[in-house]
Amino acid sequence: MKRRDLLKMSGLAALGAAAAACGGGGGSEAAARLQFMFWGSAFEKKAVEKMLRQFAERNPGIEVEPLFTPDEYDVKLNTLVAGGRVPHVGYVPMAMSFRLAEQGKLVNLFPYLTKYPQLAGYLPDAYLWYGPDKMHGTATANEIELLWYSKAAIAEAGIAPPPATAASAWTWDQLVENAYKLTVDQNGRHPDESGFDPGQVRQFGISSSITYGAAWYGFLRGNGGDFADGTGRRCLLDAPEAVEVFQNLQDLIYEHRVMPGPGQLAATGDDVPGTNILLKTKRVAMVVDGHWSLLDMNESKAGYGIGVLPRYAEPYTASQVAGATSVFAGTGHEQEAVELFAFHNDPRYVDLFAQGLWMPQEKKYYEDQAAIDSWTKNAGHPPEFRTAVVDYARDHGVPDFRNRVRNLAAISADVLTPALQEIESGKRPAGEILKAAAPRITGMLQGWHHTQAL
Amino acid sequence: MRRLETRWGWLMALPAILGFAIFTVGPMLASFAFSLTDWQIGGSPSFTGLDNYAELAGDELFWKSLSVTTYYTLGAVPLTLIVSFAVAMLLNQRARGLAIWRTIFYLPTLVPAIANVVLWIWIFNPDFGLLNSLLREAGLPTSQWVHSERLAVPSLIVMSTWGFGNTMVIFLAGLQGVPRHLYEAVSIDGGGPWRRFWHVTLPMMTPTIFYNLVVGVVGTFQVFNQAYVMTEGGPNHATLFYVYYLFRKAFTESEMGYASALAWVLFMIIMVVTFLLFRNARRWVYYEMAGAR
Repeated sequence: MKRRDLLKMSGLAALGAAAAACGGGGGSEAAARLQFMFWGSAFEKKAVEKMLRQFAERNPGIEVEPLFTPDEYDVKLNTLVAGGRVPHVGYVPMAMSFRLAEQGKLVNLFPYLTKYPQLAGYLPDAYLWYGPDKMHGTATANEIELLWYSKAAIAEAGIAPPPATAASAWTWDQLVENAYKLTVDQNGRHPDESGFDPGQVRQFGISSSITYGAAWYGFLRGNGGDFADGTGRRCLLDAPEAVEVFQNLQDLIYEHRVMPGPGQLAATGDDVPGTNILLKTKRVAMVVDGHWSLLDMNESKAGYGIGVLPRYAEPYTASQVAGATSVFAGTGHEQEAVELFAFHNDPRYVDLFAQGLWMPQEKKYYEDQAAIDSWTKNAGHPPEFRTAVVDYARDHGVPDFRNRVRNLAAISADVLTPALQEIESGKRPAGEILKAAAPRITGMLQGWHHTQAL
Repeated sequence: MRRLETRWGWLMALPAILGFAIFTVGPMLASFAFSLTDWQIGGSPSFTGLDNYAELAGDELFWKSLSVTTYYTLGAVPLTLIVSFAVAMLLNQRARGLAIWRTIFYLPTLVPAIANVVLWIWIFNPDFGLLNSLLREAGLPTSQWVHSERLAVPSLIVMSTWGFGNTMVIFLAGLQGVPRHLYEAVSIDGGGPWRRFWHVTLPMMTPTIFYNLVVGVVGTFQVFNQAYVMTEGGPNHATLFYVYYLFRKAFTESEMGYASALAWVLFMIIMVVTFLLFRNARRWVYYEMAGAR
């Protein structure tokens, strides 16, 4: 008798607890709470948060908490992984994404491609594979490298602006020739005039990073070179095609004196002012930088124009220059998280495309006229955008090697970046440095990551 | 009564003891255990014995970071000692506005570490930085400072002396403790300022110098901020300080086992260096109450 009473009592208590739990949710069904972790500028933060709000509105019962992490992203994400408190969906630094996928920390999205047809219609290079039929995410957006220029500087020099179609891209010599005309010291002299003072340059002709892989990968591929051979086990940076590309870059600084050397543009550490500021202040007349600059260009009314990169044999540019977005495994809300993943970079809902930060990953946005117009026909996209970006990306984009090479984090930190810094310092010719670095990189190479067609 | 006091004593000390045990000893032991494993964040550790330590011996960047850090220590410690000692001597004079001078010389120490680094990034800027502007005004050749492989560490050594305030204050306290009668004795024997310095000040200050030397060496071996904020270890590994390399291994490449091994090797190095300094100290450090130490 006593025992039965006790059971009744505990049953009542359990009911009470359940009722209280329901009451906590305001009577609605229990909500899934997702976390979305991302980096970016203050402007990107606003836009991503807006996207997340939209997702929550369209999906009653799912709440999304933005985890904006502008600095030290890899450190913080690593810490979350170590502590077992990963977000549901988030940006993942490219090299790290492959490691986490291989460790089983990311959801294999391959089975979901049938459920979400828009995911299956991406550009082939967008997918990130950690094995056959194992896809751990996509590059967040498609991004390519472009030649941005200051319209005012071009007009002052009285030269034709950099071409906006790949077919008429400048050769390297044409780039150098025009860069001379665009480089001016404090006394108004150009580098090919006597009395030019390289220590007091008012306006540099061009800036094209030597240490940032995406900036030169298009040149390298266009000249018939590559980072590694077909097996991904032998580094090709000491091949003549590669040496020529890097020697040309080094020459821009020390031979032609049309490009700033290390530290010359820096404001704080490695933080060079944004391309929009460099062009607006005419500190530099032409800058090789990613498409994502468009947002800041428009925001700061930089008076910019967009050209395609100078060409070697082929007019190539690096594409898919972005981090990964992935769904984290073991968070308990996989379905909802995949739903958010499919939503987060869909141009139908996200205005980061029309605003100019991102380029879509779905093929149709490069092929179908109405779809192209949906993200490019607006005030934020200048008239040359169609040929200089949409067509250029579709026909001449080569996927960034940094999404493809295994073990690149260690290769970069230990050998590649130091070697590129040495080229940038101009103490030795590029060929000498690359001849020493390439075999060491070869020793660390572990092949290319898997890729496959859908 | 005595027992009660003992109990209270332990109780009062408990927060500090617990803090030390949980946040210092615990992680240290854990890191030693990790150093014997191959552990990437996200994976599970597998025991590999001393493999990490063996791998260190063949790791070019380990040796590079060790030599860069030693270079920095050998430059920064003596320079800071000399500068702070000299300024402490000056501030130990009887002069007008002494308090203001002391404040001014101490002030840089109060600048937060990162703000300090950002400030120096500007000072070192090759184009419009303070140093190059001054050199240009004087008609002297300018320099790339931290952007040059050769000058990066010397630049950082110069920068390190800027925060000499704490060392200076300790020297100042030491100088004020030098017994006046010893100076008087030298004066009576006809000794000038140089003799007063050489035969009284310096010997009496050796314990303070020794203290600052040890603290300086231990501190500079752990230099990190400059590489982290300013140079990212570059150019071409010129400023790949040991702790920065460790940090990169741990949090960028997420090689926790290897990074733990690096940490323990640094701990051993600092222990050995400190031990050697103490052993050597008997030869040159003078304690007034020699028997009492």
